[in-house]
Amino acid sequence: MEKKEQKRHQHKHSGPKAQKKNRKREQGQEQDERKRNPRAFSVQSAVRMAKTFHRTQDIKTKKHHIPLVDRTPLEPPPVVIVVMGPPKVGKSTLIRCLIKNYTRQKLSDICGPVTIVSGKKRRLTLIECNNDINSMIDLAKVADLVLMLIDASFGFEMETFEFLNICQVHGFPRVMGVLTHLDTFKNNKTLRKTKKRLKHRFWTEVYQGAKLFYLSGMVYGEYQTQEVKNLGRFISVMKFRPLVWRTSHSYVVADRMEDLTDPEAIRLNPKCDRTVSLYGYLRGTFLKNKCQVHIPGVGDFSVADVSFLPDPCPLPEVIKKRALNVKERLLYAPMAGVGGLVYDKDAVYIDMPSGHASRQQEEVRPTTELVHSLIGTQATLDAKMAASKVSLFTGAAALTPEEVQENEKQNPMEIREWDEKAQRERRRAVFADEDDDEEESDDEEEEEEEEDEEEEDEEGLTTLKKEDEKAAPPVKKQKFEERVEMPAFADSDDELEKSEDDESEEEEDEGDEENEEMEEGEPVKRSSGPDSGLCSEEDDEDEEEDSDMDEDGDGIVKSKMSSKPPEEENLDTEDAEMGYETAGALRWKEDLAQKASEAYLRHQLATPNLRKLVYGTVAEKEEEDSNDEEELGGLFKVSRPEKSKKVRADAMDCSRFHPDSSHDWDQEEMLASIRDCFVTGKWEEDKDAATLLKEDDELYGDFEDLETGEVHKAKTKAEGENDDEINGDDDDDDEEEEAPQVKLDDDEVQKNKRLEKKRRLKERFDAQYDDGDATYFDDLKEEMQKQAELNRQEFEDVDDEVRVQYEGFRPGMYVRVEIPALPCEFVTNFDPHYPVILGGLGPSEGNVGYLQMRLKKHRWHSRILKTRDPLILSLGWRRFQTIPLYYIEDHNGRHRLLKYTPEHMHCGATIWGPITPQGTGFLAVQTVGGIKANFRIAATGVVLDLDKSVTIVKKLKLIGYPYKIFKNTCFIQGMFNTVLEVAKFEGASIRTVSGIKGQIKKALRTPPGAFRATFEDRLLMSDIAFLRSWYPVSVPQLYNPVTSLLMPVGQKDTWAGMRTLGQLKHDLDIRNKPNQDSLYKPVVRQIRHFNTLHIPKELQKALPFKNKPKQMQAKGKTPRDLQRPAVVREPHEKKVAALLDALSSVYAYKNKKAKAEQHAKHKEFLKQKDKQDAERQKRLKEERKKTFRAMGQKEKKKLKSSLKGASKDN
Amino acid sequence: MEFEGCSCFRQRLVLSTLSGKRVKIRNIRSKDDNPGLRDFEASFIRLLDKVTNGTRIEINQTGTVLFYQPGLLYGGSVEHECNVQRSVGYYLEALLMLAPFMKTPLRAVLKGVTNDPTDPSVDLLKVTAIPLMKKFGIDGDGLEIKVLKRGMAPEGGGEVLFTCPVRRSVKPVQLTETGKIKRIRGTAFSVRVSPQMANRIVDSARSVLNKFIPDIYIYTDHMKGASSGKSPGFGLTLVAETVNGTFLGAEVVSTPQGQGDPVLPEDLGRNCAKLLLEEIYRGGCVDSTNQSLALLYMTLGQQDVSKTLLGPLSPYTIEFLRHIRDFFQMMFKIEQQKPGEDEQKGGEKVLMTCVGAGYSNISKTIK
Repeated sequence: MEKKEQKRHQHKHSGPKAQKKNRKREQGQEQDERKRNPRAFSVQSAVRMAKTFHRTQDIKTKKHHIPLVDRTPLEPPPVVIVVMGPPKVGKSTLIRCLIKNYTRQKLSDICGPVTIVSGKKRRLTLIECNNDINSMIDLAKVADLVLMLIDASFGFEMETFEFLNICQVHGFPRVMGVLTHLDTFKNNKTLRKTKKRLKHRFWTEVYQGAKLFYLSGMVYGEYQTQEVKNLGRFISVMKFRPLVWRTSHSYVVADRMEDLTDPEAIRLNPKCDRTVSLYGYLRGTFLKNKCQVHIPGVGDFSVADVSFLPDPCPLPEVIKKRALNVKERLLYAPMAGVGGLVYDKDAVYIDMPSGHASRQQEEVRPTTELVHSLIGTQATLDAKMAASKVSLFTGAAALTPEEVQENEKQNPMEIREWDEKAQRERRRAVFADEDDDEEESDDEEEEEEEEDEEEEDEEGLTTLKKEDEKAAPPVKKQKFEERVEMPAFADSDDELEKSEDDESEEEEDEGDEENEEMEEGEPVKRSSGPDSGLCSEEDDEDEEEDSDMDEDGDGIVKSKMSSKPPEEENLDTEDAEMGYETAGALRWKEDLAQKASEAYLRHQLATPNLRKLVYGTVAEKEEEDSNDEEELGGLFKVSRPEKSKKVRADAMDCSRFHPDSSHDWDQEEMLASIRDCFVTGKWEEDKDAATLLKEDDELYGDFEDLETGEVHKAKTKAEGENDDEINGDDDDDDEEEEAPQVKLDDDEVQKNKRLEKKRRLKERFDAQYDDGDATYFDDLKEEMQKQAELNRQEFEDVDDEVRVQYEGFRPGMYVRVEIPALPCEFVTNFDPHYPVILGGLGPSEGNVGYLQMRLKKHRWHSRILKTRDPLILSLGWRRFQTIPLYYIEDHNGRHRLLKYTPEHMHCGATIWGPITPQGTGFLAVQTVGGIKANFRIAATGVVLDLDKSVTIVKKLKLIGYPYKIFKNTCFIQGMFNTVLEVAKFEGASIRTVSGIKGQIKKALRTPPGAFRATFEDRLLMSDIAFLRSWYPVSVPQLYNPVTSLLMPVGQKDTWAGMRTLGQLKHDLDIRNKPNQDSLYKPVVRQIRHFNTLHIPKELQKALPFKNKPKQMQAKGKTPRDLQRPAVVREPHEKKVAALLDALSSVYAYKNKKAKAEQHAKHKEFLKQKDKQDAERQKRLKEERKKTFRAMGQKEKKKLKSSLKGASKDN
Repeated sequence: MEFEGCSCFRQRLVLSTLSGKRVKIRNIRSKDDNPGLRDFEASFIRLLDKVTNGTRIEINQTGTVLFYQPGLLYGGSVEHECNVQRSVGYYLEALLMLAPFMKTPLRAVLKGVTNDPTDPSVDLLKVTAIPLMKKFGIDGDGLEIKVLKRGMAPEGGGEVLFTCPVRRSVKPVQLTETGKIKRIRGTAFSVRVSPQMANRIVDSARSVLNKFIPDIYIYTDHMKGASSGKSPGFGLTLVAETVNGTFLGAEVVSTPQGQGDPVLPEDLGRNCAKLLLEEIYRGGCVDSTNQSLALLYMTLGQQDVSKTLLGPLSPYTIEFLRHIRDFFQMMFKIEQQKPGEDEQKGGEKVLMTCVGAGYSNISKTIK
């Protein structure tokens, strides 16, 4: 069986063979295959050709998907990896190993999401999914990749399948199976078989060829490094598909939670509603401020404020190396307390890593450093907490010092802690602690104070800060920061805006209304932090121009504003926003007028700012503020009449834009000003017909007139050839004008022109030849591509703060979402092991209405579902309990109510629930509490329609009885109760049980409810007439969100909502008295009696005797005298009889014995005889054989001799 | 959401219907001698109720407080008797905004005043709004405004048919090039007056416009009998079409009978032509009456960047932008474009840019 090394073929390099080959090759090269062998490529059959063409086109078009605009963000959020599996399968271990693999750090307790930087362009958020169907549902909605752990020693568990089904409903994320506990197999063959079996089962569930990983064994309680590394590589290169729901909704997987409620309020009422801020990466699509969100397991909330924070786990900035260095392998898991700080409810624990890990960390993470320094300072816990926020923020290692400072200012970590303590004292402690630091930090502290006073304004403040930096030269930055008093800045900023607006007034001359608006605008602009912070690009430019003035303004403002305590500002802000006036508002308004007037003078020539005009002010709101005119000063008083407010509020609602009175269209100048708007006017350079024509001429000017034989040459060609003469010869007006100017760099111009010409030529060529086979699909794709490009570029150069205003917060940002009025249980029962998801809701998705859906009972669920039994649905972000009604659509479009879902068929379901876009998938479970033995997913389906009313009907049969019958007419009673009811059903068709059709004619006066009806045939009194009708059913309005996150820790999987009727009956031990008629009783068959056959006498006579009934009497009893008497024996006779009996039995025995002997003898004899016979037969056979052989030989000889004779004759 | 006063009444209710947010409007003419909602507003609410399903409306006794909880847009065949205080245009403008997002295609017959001096008339909307809607992908056979009967101001008696197909989503647009005006069209109409009036209007309007462009055609439309409504009147609608498919319109109607001085048809024609010139001076890809419609469709588009070049923003549009921010948390990037030095293309333009809200028609049924 050994393989022999075969000798390779030697190509000839010389000689005739090589020459021949060379010749062949040359010919082949120069000749096309088709040309060389044309017959092979000719059309044999047109039909077949058409068929093949069709087929290729079909295959091609099948591959097409509807092109979508690519909306993936440039810097995507971390990939959400959900590690899922039944308990004790190794989830935590796997996460730990993965973290160690990526970051070289060990995380002891996996608690909440863990974000890590896994590569140059990818970050991962690892979440462990516990064995609760609530968590499974929530996480399936946010997972990008699911690592599905399977205990190979046990096989698949129900949870795995349940989770797969959940995933399927909510858009299938990528799923990767991981087999663990493979080391329990001792036998290699069973291991292999199990692997194969599991793999194939997994494939049928996910897709053929889905990746299944094997983690073969444990080393010191961890998986093998190499295997984890491989898994990590797979994760790092994985691509994800966009899912419809997620691309149209924004969502945040919260990785931090802070309670912002006023501690005093909690003290007074521990069960008061909480204000909570949640942090996390924004995913999906843009998130708008003040939108509605749903937190699965808690409920719907409107967001009070959203702000974006610097990325706590940023990607490396510059990618120069192949691998990440240790500094860039960041780990962010606030819930697990990474960064040395663990936040508990009432304390902060500082975790000191020990051993070699700590040393490594010390260099890596500035955080740790700061934590160390913190410990060193021996300050109070409050102080530590205050400082800790500073430290945590520096966790974003890649920031510049300035940015770091800003970060520190914004540090989100601190907030919760502050609210728990009294704010004042703590703040003081921070001051004392940090006093010896530089003054800069001091300022920061001040800012922080402010910040926690007015958290809503945080965003605005940062904006200001940034703008400020932009406007002022860097040298001055220090100065600025020293005297930063945020509201003052806001004011100074507004000065600018206002003055600009004033000028815009002048320029635009829009009439007094705008004027009004602008003036009204000031107070709000000044007060509402975020608004004033906004600046468009134009504004920025302005600021740069007027930076000196800015500073002046600051000076003034600072002196005035610094006296004001921050609380008041806060009040102002809120007040102005609410549109109310308070005493606090008065003070700052005083300076406004002054400042405004100054600014007005200064900025007379600045450009108007439309954005401020539109968004910076809201007309109605300020009206109230400015009621007292003395505080507004002269400037404002003039332009606003007292009752202007009413006029505005109740102004005429008309979309017409009345013309500007200043334009007099009789004047020539005005007419001239729009001259170019018409095709008759002057065209732009690139669109002018003359130039275009000329270009065409250049391109296509070369032609020969075939009739005359004249040859036309393009003019420019000639120009190109003799460059020197061109200037003079050019016949184009524009060029003539330009010529003297550009004379010096003539060549340059010529070159450009040529290039331009080339480009145009190429374009035209492309258009001509590419468009030929460009399909609709290609066009569409290109359009989408263009749109995507535009989307990317439009706001690229805009500052983030401003950009957020236009677009909303874009996915990939790390955001802080503040939510007011959360139930206190959310905070008190917070368990980081349960995912907190903020799911953004689109417009009108927060409303409730009727939903029509297509539903199918899951084929693995053991029971069919009953109408009106409460069901828990997972739809959109939500999990809620509702009462569905099942229906089926009849052929005429009627929705007929069903009592139960069909077993293996789709049916309709209508529920009262949250408005969710059509086409959204959902799944239903009967309970989320506890773990039942069988498959929990009861049904799956999709939303079809949303409505505010339902159209389900159920069949109703009204029964009546005839009480008078005249031929085909009869009077029927018992169907209705009043004449009116009958009147409503006049003309309705009725039917009897026996099938006679009829019609209701008219009501009778008595008895009430009786009516006259006609039928197609005469009825019997025993007939029952019925009317088939349809009764509309109302859907119960139960919408009960599953609030599993509010349950106490450890009982979160015990949420139970409304019970089904069956459960209630079972729990309360209620039994219905069944209808006696419906009961099953044992079937007793009665014996049937048949009458005797009676044959008429005539017939009897005619019958033959044997068939005639016999007239014989039955035999009577034997008469007594004929009966034989019983014999009574004497004793002697008895003895005789006994003896005779004995003798006869002896005789019988002897007889029997003799017979048996005889029989045996005979048998023996027969055997003997058989034997002899057989021998005889044998002998005879041999003899016969012998004789026959002899005869045969004789015959043969005879034949031979005769043949011989014959041949001789021949 | 809470508002005060009845200004921007339609905007608020329309945006509320589209966004699904409930609205409360207080102090509606509370200080007025005749407080509360006017008849035309009540009629408008009734119209909204007709095209929606499940709308809850509560009005207090005096009519000064309105609570509006929107239902789902239903559409279908609707017939509405519009109040004669405002013209059909008042109602039609709102329907234009709502119609593409209905469950079933809308077919609305609106009866009332077709032309009056306050509101954009049906003719103007027909020639400007419909082509604009087509740019947003709302096209097909169904999209049409048809004047069945013409009814002039005080008495009305007109009838307008508006049909619109439904769409699941609106396309983003890039309307940044106005293009040059290639033709001017118009309709001069007269009802219950001499048909000669229309011809006189045409002549005077042409005399102004002929200086710019020769391609002018103004139809005369004289309606008689049952289709002429109840009041006499005449008017002119002009529309300028550019090479890029932008339509800029202007219109003037005679003063209603018994209200103010009567106008001469010649003056009317000239005024209208001048109004058109004013509109051209303002420029932009959308004319001034339809600015809010265009901005609404941009807002409700897919999550892509839309751009539109507008003329100076009208006060109504400015209010509309604010309301869009309130209802959809959407802000537009507003850039002003100054006319060039030697360009003679009218006044300043405003480039509006936004990212659509990703709105999808949640009423439409899928099968």
